[in-house]
Amino acid sequence: MNRRSIIPLAAAGAVAALGLAACGSAVKTATPSQVAYNAGNTSVVNPSAHKGGTITFNNSSVPDSTDPGNTYYAHMWNMARLYGRSLMTFKSCPGKCGLQLVPDLASARGQVSADGLTWTYHIKPNIRFEDGTKVTTTDIKYAVERTYAKDVLPNGPSYFALLLTDSKYPGPYKDKTPGKLGLKSVDTPNATTIVFHLQKPFADFDYVVSLPQTVPVPQAKDKGANYQLHPVSTGPYKFQNYTLDKQFTLVRNTEWDPATDRNRKQLADKIVVNLNVNADTIDNNLIHNFAHIDMAGTGVQAAARAQVLSSASLRKNADAAPSGFLWFTYINSKVKPLDNVHCRRAVEYAADKVAYQTAYGGPIAGGSIASTVLPPNIVGHQKFDLYGATTKPHGDVAKAEQELAACGQPNGFATNMAFRSDRPKEKAASTAMQQALSEAGIKVTLQGYTSGKYFTNFAGVPTFVHQHDLGLSIGGWAADWPDGYGFLYYLTAGDAIAPAGNTNIGELDDPKVNNLFAKAVATTDAGARNQIWPQIDRQVMSQAVIMPGVYAKSLLYRNPNVTNVFVHLYYGMYDYAALGRK
Amino acid sequence: MPTLYQMIRFIIRRLIITVFLLIVVSMITFAIFFLIPRLAGQNSYQLASQYVGRNPTPAAIHAIEQKLGFNEPLAVQYGRFAKGIVLGAHYNAGPDKTYCPPPCFGYSFRNQQPVWPMMLSDIPVTASLAFGAACLWLVGGTAIGVLSALRRGSVFDRAAMGIALAGVSLPIFFTGLIALELFSFRWPIFPDLQFVPLTENPYLWARNLVLPWTTLAFLYAALYARLTRAGMLETMGEDYIRTARAKGLPERNVIVKHGLRAALTPIVTIFGLDLGLLLGGAVLTEFTFSLHGLGLFTVLAIQNSDLPQILGVVMLTAFFVVIANLIVDILYAVVDPRVRY
Repeated sequence: MNRRSIIPLAAAGAVAALGLAACGSAVKTATPSQVAYNAGNTSVVNPSAHKGGTITFNNSSVPDSTDPGNTYYAHMWNMARLYGRSLMTFKSCPGKCGLQLVPDLASARGQVSADGLTWTYHIKPNIRFEDGTKVTTTDIKYAVERTYAKDVLPNGPSYFALLLTDSKYPGPYKDKTPGKLGLKSVDTPNATTIVFHLQKPFADFDYVVSLPQTVPVPQAKDKGANYQLHPVSTGPYKFQNYTLDKQFTLVRNTEWDPATDRNRKQLADKIVVNLNVNADTIDNNLIHNFAHIDMAGTGVQAAARAQVLSSASLRKNADAAPSGFLWFTYINSKVKPLDNVHCRRAVEYAADKVAYQTAYGGPIAGGSIASTVLPPNIVGHQKFDLYGATTKPHGDVAKAEQELAACGQPNGFATNMAFRSDRPKEKAASTAMQQALSEAGIKVTLQGYTSGKYFTNFAGVPTFVHQHDLGLSIGGWAADWPDGYGFLYYLTAGDAIAPAGNTNIGELDDPKVNNLFAKAVATTDAGARNQIWPQIDRQVMSQAVIMPGVYAKSLLYRNPNVTNVFVHLYYGMYDYAALGRK
Repeated sequence: MPTLYQMIRFIIRRLIITVFLLIVVSMITFAIFFLIPRLAGQNSYQLASQYVGRNPTPAAIHAIEQKLGFNEPLAVQYGRFAKGIVLGAHYNAGPDKTYCPPPCFGYSFRNQQPVWPMMLSDIPVTASLAFGAACLWLVGGTAIGVLSALRRGSVFDRAAMGIALAGVSLPIFFTGLIALELFSFRWPIFPDLQFVPLTENPYLWARNLVLPWTTLAFLYAALYARLTRAGMLETMGEDYIRTARAKGLPERNVIVKHGLRAALTPIVTIFGLDLGLLLGGAVLTEFTFSLHGLGLFTVLAIQNSDLPQILGVVMLTAFFVVIANLIVDILYAVVDPRVRY
């Protein structure tokens, strides 16, 4: 790969920081004799270059969409790499190496202008669609334009509309410009160059173009909502057929050139994805070799968990993988008396973190006790513990009582707590909170809401939260990309507070936090930027609007008949673009 | 027996009532999902925000609000829904318009596809499951019920009724998972169960449905065995049975033509209802065995709050129940000569 000589400081810094931290040594591989519990977390299990066979995926639900421009599910972002290549991607390797951003369609990282408002990418010249047509930057611009058409493609992220200058662009289906390429904030001066114009500097833009929304779409083949039935491939596999909500099959894409792509393999002949399979049946299918991968990547069910952990022969084929999720409780800073920081801190101290962890499945299947908002797999994570989560994990009632006194509520207070009633783990965690807080005199009444409307109608609607005194709300979060902005912004930035669908449920609008975000997005030096994230994390924790519960893990079962298996830390599941069959 | 004219008149009358019934069902279902949330304070913006990805912009939510018509009066929304059922509808799918043929139940909020073609592709799965299981439970349940009644108090009777009690009591997600564990995984007699269309491979179609059929039939056969037994015990004590025997009729004729025929009337009634409901989706069986029929379709629709899909399933189930009852009413005339229309 040719690295261009004019690489901006941002890119160089990021490469240095991530590269040094993550990829100091060569990728480890596990020989068959080393196949062991958790081996897939740090090494490639069953390394092999053998070609042939079929890999069968099972999924207990259905994708939000197989259209790379219209999906927000982590497992679909992972799966979409099999048939789509974005401008940037994450390196295919186990451990923290997988958090390293590398060029995919692009020949190098983006070149940012001195004012931080223009990002330029050059793409590799010989990438082809599955029909043999050459990929040009116009196809990438068209893919970006599609992300504005929310009435047709509603599911994907909205970063381009938020960041680029032409925020009122209606999307290509309502575009009156001849050729329907009227998005003025993206230029394509030639077939291999694409230029993005931003409203304000955004140093994380390389991450934004790593989203599957930059997977090129040939305009002539775009069928809008129906494009999901056959996205035109640029990856190692292409769609053979798709029966919506039931099954899709991928076969080799003969136009894919491995010389241009170091992050994907094309080992199996065919990939079959069965959808809507009963979750317990999936576990049995994996164990009995009727299926090879659980596509959702969220781990085995309770029955199989017990079976896998109690059997040495099964346990060695399992990985307790960091999922990238944080399970936590929002503490609202506007609901009385929690508008007083000391009352919020009383909650932080009183919570029983071990009970919380148990509610989510314990240390193996649930995760480890969290003391920060940023999980360890995020760039910028620094370990600290303001409220004794790890030193007094059962809660510190004495400290809680001191904070209550400082808050003017020496006898405690009453508040309500929201959770998703159709999620048993959240119900158990809420009950654990209720019991622990009662020891400090904080009386909690639990309020269950359906998960489908949790953010849109209840906990995510500030007026509803205030009217119903929802001082506490259970939450869970994973980053769109693995740095402080990707994880923290929508949870803690004042600008992120929305009238409905709000995810900053703590309603933190702290000037110090907001200023740190503003400073970070304008800091092109990655090393300096990555020093800002722990400052935000610490400030958020000092304001006590989030009670971190668990850095989540998923117990994944690794079918021994699959080769090149490892946990990709960015996706929090196996790397689907690396797999093969014995 | 009623005349052909009487029968046709009866069917036409019932079909007209069916149409009105379906309109009422559609209005009630529509009101449950669209009116009640509004009365509870939900506005169209909040409704729309359920169907956009994480952290949407207000513009994105408004776009969905307009596309799905949430900002229009409810009467207009219902009118469009009803019109789609009768005339079909066109939907904006981006560069093209997607046509949804009648009876179009709307456009899925979740996967942006017309609902009716999706349901249509699921009907063969549910029909295969429902009719196959119905044959098993009807034949098995009534046969066991008749034999139990004829051998009242015997070991067979006690064992059969004991098993029947278990069948009625055990939920399908329990018996189904046990069946899968034993016969699909531990002793893989029926491995890797996936629905195969009858037209594609009749052997695999039947082989892969044996476990769902037997699991579902086990539940219903138990009920039918108990019902048949009770009916037969009552009927076989009637005077006309004694008269038939006194006339010297063979015992088989007495049991089948006089005893069973009279005992069948309640069985036929409940069979119509059960089959109609199952055709609308055998939810638990399909969920347990991962069969992509209307039951699993329903589960997914509810999980995703996909109102057009829920509406479609409710309407189709109501249609099946009404039609099944119509057929049952017609069958009464065959089973019971006293019936008049």
